[in-house]
Parts: sequence; structure tokens; C-alpha cells
Amino acid sequence: MLRRHTHEAVLALVTLLAILVLSLQSDQFLSVANLLNQGRLMTEVALVALVMTFVIASGGIDLSVGSIMGLSAILLGTFWDGFGLPLPLAMLAVLVVGTVCGLFNGIIIVHFGMPPLIATLGTLALYRGLAEGISQARSVRGWPEWFARLGQGDWLGLPVQVWILLAALALAGAILGFTRWGRTVYAIGASETAARFSGLPVDATKLAIYAVSGFASALAALIFVARVSTTRSDMGTGLELDVITAVVLGGTSIFGGRGTILGTALGLILVQVLENGLSLAGVKGDGTIVLIGVVLIATLLVSTLTERRARA
Amino acid sequence: MTQTLTRTLPCLMGSAAILAASFAAPAQAAWTGGDDQPTSPLACDASTVAPDAGSYNGGTVTGAQPSDTLRVVDVPKLVGIGYFNATSAGVAEAAAELDGVEATTDGPAQANIDDQITLIDNYITSGVGGILYAANDPVAIAPVLRKALEAGIHVVGYDSDAEPDARQWFVNPAQFNGVAKTLMDELAQQIGADGSFAIVTSTFTTPNQARWIAEMDAYQAKCYPEMEWLETVEAQEDNILSFNQAMTLINKYGEDMDGLVGMTSVATPAAAEAVTQADLCGEVSVMGLATPNAIRPYIKSGCMEDAVLWNPVDMGYAALHVLKAAVDGTLEPGAAEVEAGRLGTLQIINGSEVLLGAPTVFNAENVDDFDF
Repeated sequence: MLRRHTHEAVLALVTLLAILVLSLQSDQFLSVANLLNQGRLMTEVALVALVMTFVIASGGIDLSVGSIMGLSAILLGTFWDGFGLPLPLAMLAVLVVGTVCGLFNGIIIVHFGMPPLIATLGTLALYRGLAEGISQARSVRGWPEWFARLGQGDWLGLPVQVWILLAALALAGAILGFTRWGRTVYAIGASETAARFSGLPVDATKLAIYAVSGFASALAALIFVARVSTTRSDMGTGLELDVITAVVLGGTSIFGGRGTILGTALGLILVQVLENGLSLAGVKGDGTIVLIGVVLIATLLVSTLTERRARA
Repeated sequence: MTQTLTRTLPCLMGSAAILAASFAAPAQAAWTGGDDQPTSPLACDASTVAPDAGSYNGGTVTGAQPSDTLRVVDVPKLVGIGYFNATSAGVAEAAAELDGVEATTDGPAQANIDDQITLIDNYITSGVGGILYAANDPVAIAPVLRKALEAGIHVVGYDSDAEPDARQWFVNPAQFNGVAKTLMDELAQQIGADGSFAIVTSTFTTPNQARWIAEMDAYQAKCYPEMEWLETVEAQEDNILSFNQAMTLINKYGEDMDGLVGMTSVATPAAAEAVTQADLCGEVSVMGLATPNAIRPYIKSGCMEDAVLWNPVDMGYAALHVLKAAVDGTLEPGAAEVEAGRLGTLQIINGSEVLLGAPTVFNAENVDDFDF
């Protein structure tokens, strides 16, 4: 058990250590209000990172998530304010568009055999360009109270979006860890050729993964718009880097075949804890970024070394 | 390479989408890059109307705890660029003058709304006494600033405002219509009242640039109806992109373009560089908003006559003085003016904005007096 999950164990230790050290630096760090607030702030990145775990574990990558988020945010405004759709319908339409954007990534990758890095680098530009072109610098504001609650309100003591995140976490963990479909993802990541010859539905699985990645980005956009109560075409810029950092820190192999939702969750928590805790301890933003880079490399090194020793 | 690609491609796609949109709606007027807020162009001559303080429309701080030292955090749009280095130098200067004030500057590494919001949120939790900010988005930053006010933290903005009720005061570097008037008057003086010009702006979503352009459009229509506004292009406050965009405009319009106007401290020198390299100094006039350091070489080489801006050091300096006055209770809602140290008395306009003054024109005579 421990041998299979060395990385998660190392990561959990590092996270606990970080929490311990940082709580000594600031009284506010371990307060309930602060922790709940951190949950609110990390939801968008976390939702996308959960699906990115599937993408990377299958040997792929999706760089276009931030751009899909920006496009979805702009389209939510356009559908609701521009076309006059009722807001629930506009939200639904945006989720559909996000899924289609993701599916489009999948189609280029699966049916035209383009490497995922190149394909999604292209759509990163394409979707962001569409968002900028459609928005024409106009922001849509004045969202109704019930919609704002999605990003700013609480339900049963937790921020509303944290409930969504917890549900997504349970769902993603169950699918990747315990279903035949989850094992198919690993098999594709380990060796796509072997998976194909084993009769696994490789193409359908990959299409589904990228489509869900688009869906998660659109869902993150809805929550983000509700949290900041405006739409901008540059929303989600750089999101892909935060997401990939958390997933890779969580032990998912960039070559595919390995990775767990537990690892990604720990990776997300560690990054958020460092950003928040260091800021509360009075470390400036640039120092925090440097430290996160160091932690990323150090954690991966330590876990590789322990794993090698465990195997030897 | 990927950097350039990820920046250039969205522009191309954006232009393609705009092109498609313009085919779909041919009746729409040419888009200038301005926003859709109402404009109020000033008089064409030099006559000025004394600004009206108006009734207070800022927010109120609740449950503020008086303390011996006032801890203030200054959160610019981003850190590490000359302009915001200058504002934080002003903040530091004021902090050294004022008793019991401790000020630090901390901001996102990129002008990113989410990073800025998270940063401010963390400072609220850590319990500062005052927040100075330059907003990356006026609406997106508002919820977190309201949260600060509710937590008893005094909030004053500078450079780029938030929604008025989300902060107490805002130090307005210069009124939009004032900057637009100065820019267009200087431009008309260089290219003539019937010249044609193009604009290089930052991004279509930057509130200040969109506002200035809207006011310039209105002022030009009122005072220089013969001038021709060729095009507005986006360059994301990126050096290389600004240069390329300026070069494209030069190649596209050739002799038909008399002037290039940069709307950012990055775009203006990049446009001057493009004109210099195209060997068109004197034929295409370059001017715009820029810091003195950025345009000094082009003013020295004679390729530019002048640039327009305010003094960001003064702006940061004034912001901390205003915050301190609000904390001490010497600046109350409804006041018509406020004392700001070496800047003397500053006027209050639009209910809750402190006006820094008229924009400064930097030219060969005074450019060496400034260092920012």
C-alpha cells in the first residue's frame, strides 16, 4: 500500500509540515474563516485540476483550459445579456459550449493524430482570440443575487462552490480509482498501443476526457464569474499552469499511466497553503512563487528517490 | 517563440472575429476601442470650469480599531514595472513623513485579476489597517474591497478605480476628459487639424485606456471634426507586440497616416522605435501617454516632441496621505478638499475622488527633471 503510494505519503508529510510551520508564523492561518475562504479561492483551479489528472494520466495534456474558461465567461454574458436568454438556460448553454470546445480538442487529437501539446496550444490561442473578439472589451455586470451566491454565498456553513468541489472530488476519485473506465485511462497512459490491442475503447475514452475537461473549465468559469461579478475576456489566463503544477506536484506522471485524485487534491492543498500561509506570514508574492517552484522540484525529487530505494 | 505565438495568435483570432462581426453588422460605426460610458468632452479652448465636489458616494468602513501604528499594504496592478515602482516610491515617501504609518508594497507578478483579489484577501485575513490599490478590474475587485471595509480596514484607491461604494476615496491622477483634451490638442498641433492618426492601446479590457479613447473620440468629434481616426489596435502592454503593431500600421497606411498615438508607457516608445526604424521621423508624429524614462531617447533624438502623463510618485504619495486623513478623521464624507503634504490642498471631485491635478506634458525642456 505504502509502496504504491510513496508519492502521496511524501506529499502528505510535506503538506502537514508546511501547515505546522506556517501556523506558527501567523495566528490567522488556521482560523476556520481563513480555511473556508481558501476553499472558496481554490475551487476554480481545483475543478479543472481534477479532470486534468485524467488528461495527464492518459498521456495527454490540455493547455486550452484557461482559454475555455475565458470564452465561457464571455459567452455567459453574451447569452444572458446580449441574447436575452434566461440565466439558467445561459448557464446550461455555456456548459454545452465548454464541452464542445473540449470535444473539439479531442477530435483534433484523436482523429487527426495531432500531439495534445500542439493541438491544445493551438486552441489555447483560438478560444482566447474568440473570447477577445466576441467581448469587444465589454464586460457584463449586474448579475442577480441568486447567481452571485454561487461564488460568494454560503450553504450549510461552507462556501457554495466548495460543495460543488467536494462532489466533483468524490466523483473523480471514485471513477479514476474504482471503475473499469478509470483503469482504461491508466492503460492508455501506460501504453496506448497495448491498450488498443487489448480491445479497450481508446478513442472514445480520450474524446470523453477532453470533453469533460472543457466542461470543467466552463463550470469553473460560471463560479468565477459569480465570485467576481463581472466577465472579462482575459479570465483564466495562465490557469493551465496553476492546474498542471498542482497535478504534477500530486504525483501524476507527465508521461501518463500514473496519478491519483488523492495526489492531485494534496497538490492543490499544498500550493494553496503555501500561497496563503506565506502571504499571511508577510512574504511577498514574488517570494511565494519562487518557493512553490522549489517545493515542486524538491517534492518530486524526494519521492523519486524514496521510490527507487523502496524498489531496490 | 511560444510566448509570441500565444500572444499573436489570439490577436489574429480576435481580429478575425471582429472582422466577422463587422460583416454581420455593417451598420455599426467603426469601433475605436472606447467603452460605452457617457463622455463629457471639455471646451475646445483653454477655459476651465471649477470641478464640483458633488455628494459623497464612496463606501463606509465599519468597526475600525484605532491603533498606534497603522499598517498599510499598497497593492498595485502588478509589481516590477517602472510606473508602479514610482507609485510605491511615493507611498514610501509619504510613510516616512507621517507618524505611526508602516507601508509595504505587494502586488501580483502579472496584471491578473484573480491573483490581485487573492492577495488582498490574504492581507484582510492578516489584519492590516489600510489598503491602497490600483484595480486590474473595477468590478471584479469590488467584493473583496467591500469585505475589507466590513472588516474595519480603510480602503483608498489610486490610478485605477473600483466601484465607488467598495472603497472610501480614490486618487484620480487626472480626469479622463482632461487627459483626452491634452492628448488631442498636442496631436492636432503636430499633425494639423485635418491629419489622420492611428492608436496603439493596451488591451480592449483595460478600463483606463478604453475610457480615454472614448473621451478622445468625443473631443475629436467636437473640436477637430476634420481629423481622421484610422484604426485602434491592441498590443497588451507588450514591447515586441507594440512594436509589431506599430510597424503594421506604418506599412498598412503609409503616407495616409500622419500620427501614431500610444496609450501606454510601453506602446508609445515602441511606436517611436518603429517610426525611427522605418526612417519616418518627422513624417509620422509619435506621441501619447508615456513615462519620461521610456520616451527620453526619442525626445533626445528628435523623433518625438512630447508625451503626456501625470506624476506617479505624487499619486502614490497623495494616496497614503488621503488614507491617513481618512483614518484620522480629518477627511470626512462631504469634504471639498484634503491636505496632502508637499502637494498642498487637493480638490475633491465626483463625490469621492481626490484630483491630483492637470496632466503633465513631458518635452525636451523638462524631461530630464523626472526619473520614473
